[in-house]
Amino acid sequence: MFKTLWRKEIEGELYTWKGLVWLLVASFLFSFISYLLLTNKELSLLDQTEMLWLLGKVIIGVALLIVTIHASSVITTEFERETAESLFLTPLSIRDFLLGKFLASFTLWLALFVVAIPYILAVSAGSHLAIPFMGYVLLLGSLGTAGFIFFIFALSLWIRSSKNTLTIALVILFALSAPALFSSTLKAAGLLDAVTKINPIDAIFSSLDNVLVDYKVSLPENAPFLLPLMAFCLVTFALLALSVLSFKKRGILKNE
Amino acid sequence: MKTLYTSLLILGAILFLPQPSRAESSPPLELSILSSRMLGGTAGDYVTVQGQIKNTGSVAVSHITTYLSLVDTENKLPVDLEDWSAEKGLFIGSIEPQQVFPLNWKIHFVKAGKYSLIIVAAAEESNTPQVSPITRFAVAPKRNLNPGNVLPTALGTPLIIALLLSMLVVRRQKGVQD
Repeated sequence: MFKTLWRKEIEGELYTWKGLVWLLVASFLFSFISYLLLTNKELSLLDQTEMLWLLGKVIIGVALLIVTIHASSVITTEFERETAESLFLTPLSIRDFLLGKFLASFTLWLALFVVAIPYILAVSAGSHLAIPFMGYVLLLGSLGTAGFIFFIFALSLWIRSSKNTLTIALVILFALSAPALFSSTLKAAGLLDAVTKINPIDAIFSSLDNVLVDYKVSLPENAPFLLPLMAFCLVTFALLALSVLSFKKRGILKNE
Repeated sequence: MKTLYTSLLILGAILFLPQPSRAESSPPLELSILSSRMLGGTAGDYVTVQGQIKNTGSVAVSHITTYLSLVDTENKLPVDLEDWSAEKGLFIGSIEPQQVFPLNWKIHFVKAGKYSLIIVAAAEESNTPQVSPITRFAVAPKRNLNPGNVLPTALGTPLIIALLLSMLVVRRQKGVQD
């Protein structure tokens, strides 16, 4: 049943060309960054690993932003357009409903990753980093986007308003991204050190740094960064489970 | 007579002035570099600096921390090792008399320039560290200019997506007309 919903959502994206313009804009952004990195005389002196790290941050950053925006509306619009009631009159379970919607949002990340592959290959040309870089972008991006989707779905079932869900989700995304901009010296200080260790976005960027700069490509070597990301996914999944219980109690029509 | 007084004064100073304690003298450690003292490459390359530490004394030396110190000799500034070496320091619990430990550091040439690197060994019971001879790096810049590679990607990918979108529009318009 979830496959039908997933297909419906994807077909909805493909229904008009406007639904996919974001992919074209993202490819323009990747083109601009890759071209700038590889042709600008000053920037081309950057170490190749630094270039790849920058590109990886842009790919995952854009993915998180797009998935956050999409996931914030994919459930809430069903309530706002009052289609949720008729949807739940069908044999569709809440589990299938959420799984279908999850796959729809997750597919956007996978589509963006496919578009990013030529750029990854172009920027990593001549280095031995193409395959590990691609693998880790896929792994880290998948864990990061999955965690955010779970969290946003939990918010969506509670709030049932796309405007409010999107605002909260974006504020949280930016709040988690902010420490990633701090220097490593600042991050080592007290509270920020603890926040850095559990911040999923920091974990993504630190793992990319570990793979590209220190060439620690095995999964055990990246466990200190992958574990907080997995924990983030588990916590947000637990939040979603709680939200589902609350949703079942409140019912479809209650929308305070 | 004056010479005699001066000699007596110096002798008195040698005999009665406080001698430096053991903590202020250098530990009996000898740091040597086995790899070439002049290493070169292009930014992005990796080299290995091979060295060794030897206890030349007659007693064991314990709690020794060895680390690297890198200086940009063109800008006369110390360099943050963050991206240059994954291993920042090596701790040695104890070195027995005449025992030798190898010290190998994989160095990543991050930025073009001229650098000098020393290995420092500091023993807990001593205030004076031991340093190795200098290894000099000459790092040539690496330009990653490759428009021949990136141009087809930078232009081709958006073009393919735009083509797919156009096909979608045409298909949709055909569907509406039918």
